[in-house]
Amino acid sequence: MRKRYVLGLLAILLAGLTFSQQTPFQQRLQQAIKSGGSKFAETMRQDPDQALCSQYRNKLPAELVPAFLERQRKLIKYPADGKLLGDWKQGEALFTNPRKGNCYACHTGDPREPGAGNMGTGLVGYGARGTSEAVVKYTYDKIYNAWATMPCSLMYRAGYHGILTPEETAHVTAFLLDPASPVNAKR
Amino acid sequence: MRNRSLWIGFLLALGLGLSIALTQQQPLDPYKEAERQRELFRQTAGILPGELYAAQGEELFAKKRGPKNTSLEACDFGLGPGKLEGALTQLPRYFADTRRVEDLETRIVSCMVRLQGFRPEEIKRDDVKALTAYVASKSSEMPINVVPKTSQEIAMYNIGRELWFHRAGDRDMNCAICHDSYAGRKVRLSPVRSPLQGLSNEWPAYRFEADKLYTLQDRIAFCYESIGIAAPEFYSEPYIALSIYMLAEATRGKNKFTELPGFTR
Repeated sequence: MRKRYVLGLLAILLAGLTFSQQTPFQQRLQQAIKSGGSKFAETMRQDPDQALCSQYRNKLPAELVPAFLERQRKLIKYPADGKLLGDWKQGEALFTNPRKGNCYACHTGDPREPGAGNMGTGLVGYGARGTSEAVVKYTYDKIYNAWATMPCSLMYRAGYHGILTPEETAHVTAFLLDPASPVNAKR
Repeated sequence: MRNRSLWIGFLLALGLGLSIALTQQQPLDPYKEAERQRELFRQTAGILPGELYAAQGEELFAKKRGPKNTSLEACDFGLGPGKLEGALTQLPRYFADTRRVEDLETRIVSCMVRLQGFRPEEIKRDDVKALTAYVASKSSEMPINVVPKTSQEIAMYNIGRELWFHRAGDRDMNCAICHDSYAGRKVRLSPVRSPLQGLSNEWPAYRFEADKLYTLQDRIAFCYESIGIAAPEFYSEPYIALSIYMLAEATRGKNKFTELPGFTR
């Protein structure tokens, strides 16, 4: 008797939970997304933190920030050999390639690139901050997962999404920090 | 009709030639370049490609077609049957006959289905594009006037706003990143505007870099593809929702349509 009572209570609780997860508006939104076809709906599916950033329009409430950063930090992977500073020449190709880094869409880099956007921070002369372990790690982490330092940053998470492997991330890091890279050419 | 198709073929070939010649110069200001391209068309052909698409649409509009052998002259775009003057300025809107909020392209399709008897799957995308160019040409340079009023329109606007901020895909993107947060700046060489600044006020437009007519749905599809999200199927709700959101915001910003069909890069 008592067992049944507990089970019933649990069922009600569960039902309540599923209801509270989707408001009628969210259900209507999902219906609209589905009407766009299965491929659209598939690529519009969000991970929980993409959903959070959308819900709060990229401005997370302060109390959610520490756990968010912690989750994102755990997603960062490093090259097997532990070297975070790779080959700047390979990094340049990855930085430029629209299907890989596509960094020129928003950032300057090599000052000779005419087609650089200006939505992101300009990166000409980025290497002026040196190549201390802290600078290298900060740069690597930022490229691999921009949300681990800045919640809901407008910059995408290249490593987390597999667009750049850990080794490739190290190459892009070198393109920004290596004194021989055109990013840091004396002008 | 035959003559016109030949003309269009000729002009499109000309356009392709011009754009090839152009890519070698690497133009740096996209707006000035579009203006220059437009002038070249005016001088060499005397007519703009967008005007040719509209002329094609005008023929399709008046012609008796489909299983019911009727024209589209009884199609009501919200101002009364066959009233095209300014029709685009108040779209998307709710239509009682289909019980849906429809944008211009979706409305053309639903008229082709209800008035002409076409089955949705046999409607050619190119016909809808030409018809869109024609109907839009009757709203050239008019003030945009999209104000969601009915519950259906308000719901669609809210869905559009939510899609606008919906971060997804492996680039973690949404519309707002470029078109709100960084409006006024550039993605590569392209200046980016916000809806309040009038984003969406030049479509349908001829894009000389693609040498094609793009409707607003084509343009939204292109945006989604460039941020790694598969484009929705044409005439589906995401397009209608985003259109009503952008055009309502453009209305709040007191924007006008450009020359329609527009002429852009």
